[in-house]
Amino acid sequence: MGRYVVRRLLQMIPVFVGATLLIFLMVNVMGDPIAGLCGERRCDPATAARLEKEFGLDKPVWQQYLTYMGNVFTGDFGTAFNGQEVTELMATAFPVTIRLTVIAILFEVVVGIVLGVVTGLRRGRPVDTGVLLLTLVVISVPTFVTGLLLQLLLGVKWGWIRPSVSSEAPFDELILPGLVLASVSLAYVTRLTRTSIAENRRSDYVRTAVAKGLPRRRVITRHLLRTSLIPVVTFIGADIGFLMGGAIVTERIFNIHGVGYQIYQGILRQNTQTVVGFVTVLVLVFLVANLVVDLLYAVLDPRIRYA
Amino acid sequence: MLLDVHDLHVEFHTRDGVAQAVNGVSYGVDEGETLAVLGESGSGKSVTAQAIMGILDVPPGRITGGEVIFRGRDLLTLKEEQRRKVRGAEMAMIFQDALSSLNPVISVGDQLGEMFTVHRGMSKKDARAEAVELMDRVRIPAARERVRQYPHQFSGGMRQRIMIAMALALEPALIIADEPTTALDVTVQAQVMELLAELQREYRMGLILITHDLGVVADVADRIAVMYAGRIVESAPVHDIYKAPAHPYTRGLLDSIPRLDQKGRELYAIRGLPPNLMDIPPGCAFHPRCPMARDVCRTDEPPLYEVTESEAGRGSACHFWRECLHG
Amino acid sequence: MPEQHFDPDRAVAGTGMGGTMDLGVDEAETLERAPGGPEGPGPREKPRSLWSDAWHDLRRNPVFVVSALVILFLVVISLWPSLITSGSPLQCDLAKAQEGSQPGHPFGFNGQGCDVYTRTVYGARTSVAVGVLATLGVAVLGSVLGALAGFFGGVGDSVLSRITDVFFAIPVVLGGLVLLSVITSNTVWPVIGFIVLLGWPQLSRIARGSVITAKQNDYVQAARALGASNSRLVLRHIAPNAIAPVIVVATIALGTYISLEATLSYLGVGLKPPSVSWGIDISAASPYVRNAPHALLWPSGALAVTVLAFIMLGDAVRDALDPKLR
Repeated sequence: MGRYVVRRLLQMIPVFVGATLLIFLMVNVMGDPIAGLCGERRCDPATAARLEKEFGLDKPVWQQYLTYMGNVFTGDFGTAFNGQEVTELMATAFPVTIRLTVIAILFEVVVGIVLGVVTGLRRGRPVDTGVLLLTLVVISVPTFVTGLLLQLLLGVKWGWIRPSVSSEAPFDELILPGLVLASVSLAYVTRLTRTSIAENRRSDYVRTAVAKGLPRRRVITRHLLRTSLIPVVTFIGADIGFLMGGAIVTERIFNIHGVGYQIYQGILRQNTQTVVGFVTVLVLVFLVANLVVDLLYAVLDPRIRYA
Repeated sequence: MLLDVHDLHVEFHTRDGVAQAVNGVSYGVDEGETLAVLGESGSGKSVTAQAIMGILDVPPGRITGGEVIFRGRDLLTLKEEQRRKVRGAEMAMIFQDALSSLNPVISVGDQLGEMFTVHRGMSKKDARAEAVELMDRVRIPAARERVRQYPHQFSGGMRQRIMIAMALALEPALIIADEPTTALDVTVQAQVMELLAELQREYRMGLILITHDLGVVADVADRIAVMYAGRIVESAPVHDIYKAPAHPYTRGLLDSIPRLDQKGRELYAIRGLPPNLMDIPPGCAFHPRCPMARDVCRTDEPPLYEVTESEAGRGSACHFWRECLHG
Repeated sequence: MPEQHFDPDRAVAGTGMGGTMDLGVDEAETLERAPGGPEGPGPREKPRSLWSDAWHDLRRNPVFVVSALVILFLVVISLWPSLITSGSPLQCDLAKAQEGSQPGHPFGFNGQGCDVYTRTVYGARTSVAVGVLATLGVAVLGSVLGALAGFFGGVGDSVLSRITDVFFAIPVVLGGLVLLSVITSNTVWPVIGFIVLLGWPQLSRIARGSVITAKQNDYVQAARALGASNSRLVLRHIAPNAIAPVIVVATIALGTYISLEATLSYLGVGLKPPSVSWGIDISAASPYVRNAPHALLWPSGALAVTVLAFIMLGDAVRDALDPKLR
């Protein structure tokens, strides 16, 4: 197990380098990194040259990347457009997005698994067909449309919630945005659970459990759920990275000042450091979440042993 | 009589139609007796067993008639909760493929111990001790250590021993073993079968042994019931059948066993294929494949005739059983 | 050691969109047969190929028929929008801004006073173009690279695997924001290019996997032992078997690409006005949603129906092509 973890960590390094380098290149080569530094106007040539030198932009890209990564590992993510440290922005933005992600995951776990179990046990009945159609619609409607529609209905028409979230973004204001962020994954969790339950329900070991004279409840919770939820749990684990990266749309709809908002601002003002810094952290989150999922697999399924 | 199945009918409703899986099966088992139920796949032998255990998938399955009298009460009229208490405690089942029949993510100790915690209300610790003892009794070496392991960590033969231990746990009066050795290596088959027979004698249990392997049957069974297309076509004490079958299908089965004294000869095979259960031939269901078939076999369904030339109760569902017996 | 466990199908799901997980409505129903049921002979029709068999199934599947008709309709109106509308999407009258439904203008007007019906009809063109072209690009690039890696293995295969890992690690919408924000060209091509750039790893994984599976089949091993050339192996034996999963994944991905284009346009980095796209119209309508919800709802509905149609089509095709489910 220990050796497996080490190997996986080593494997993560090229992926991490590749992904961050790709982003770095996109931002640096294609954009104009100093364009945002002189306010709304373009910098005059002399200032531009001075700034380029100051930021090391006259050096080759690979050197810039190495310098940048060197700084990142000492905790220096550079400065944002308004002179603030990027790490300061992160300190305010990440807690918000993490809260949002936690709510989304809760929706997936509670609503998704419950719906999946209910439909998986009642295949072909009206509940099953209804939920199945609903999940298909949720998957097909882009998240930003779902978000706008729910905001329109709940926020504007019926006035149940505030249509936009205040800058502190407390948990209760994030419930609807969390649901919107979770929506597509929620539909997948429902379907995955349903398929898994329906498949395992006819398995030999469930038949054995029934033949042993166990009460139905115990057959389901102890024998059926235990095996059926393994793929679901790992899906949800891997989803953490996707949710944090995909939160940008939800955050824009509800005007939440999280990670997505900061990246969006960074792009608008062409601030390289903000964009690369935030994306680097997101890539790390994604990679770590996937590693944890792999290890979780071994814990949940004794058949899997890592050599 | 410990178990008396009477005129059992089971159907399966599928998208393509209704499959008549069991069509009026009657058989019985006494304490300490072994009944071998023989037949090809699709003959209804497993479905009958599932109906007796009450583990039929409903739907698509449906019991449309008959009685299952066990220790004096008709199980088919019991409520599900009463039925559940019978399962595992009074009658238990051993399945063919132990690897898929054991839960892959629960340790064997927990799976065995569950019998005691659920049915007997034992503590987890006591149940674990019982599990170790059970594993000892089915001769699994190092039971105390292996009780914590998972099914995939055992060999095929050891896993089937665990299935047997699980069935024996609460010392049921009846065990139904559905092809218990089919999935095993030939060398292990004999050991497992021996163990099962020995434990059955020790506990004086009734045993229904479902198999398609005539070789297994000869050593352990007291009686044989041969099934075809959801019906019993011949039922007799084991020796009578081997001496002289009273049904052409049984004869076909016996003739298709390879025998040393007939080395070099072409092996006999029953011609044709088992019937489609959605469209069972009229008359005797076996007539399209029967070498003795005559006109009456295509129209009249034979009842289970009493074979009067035998002392012990013996039946054959063939219009020409006499001919078959002497031919 | 297990492969990466995250679902590669989620590669296009940076917004949490799309993916190709099991969407089957009744995928296992066919398994619910009676035990020992009619495995028997019965009249056997003459053997058909996987493809003709699948086509036989598809024609009888109402989900397939309905979604195929919707898609056909979309393709026709994106080629000839004037068939069902006489107006121009750019002909706007600010005086009529936010007005509701009225004769000749069934969907009303948007915030700029443009006819919502006409714009919704014309918006199909963008979505269909992006969906179809991006899918073609992804399918060709992804399956060729994946198939080569799967067939030859070795160093190239390892390198390709690591490269796909890199692409999976980048959140799609963020990548789109970064890359497309600097592009000034206001056509569908940058969006298509971006989708191909980030989408191919998904297809290459699928293609690689199915080529490896096909390669291990006994009859392929036998053909190889008999001295069949590589090109013959690939064309005659491997491609026919490996192509089915690629088609299925690509069809479902097509729906998610349409969704992705709309999302990027909504965020202001895909297409920009005066281009016509459902994403642009939804974005433009959201500030006025209180007064003119119709300007938001019609393009949203059109977008949802389009994506749904492609996803259901892919789903039906998958059911038909997966022999295991028969």
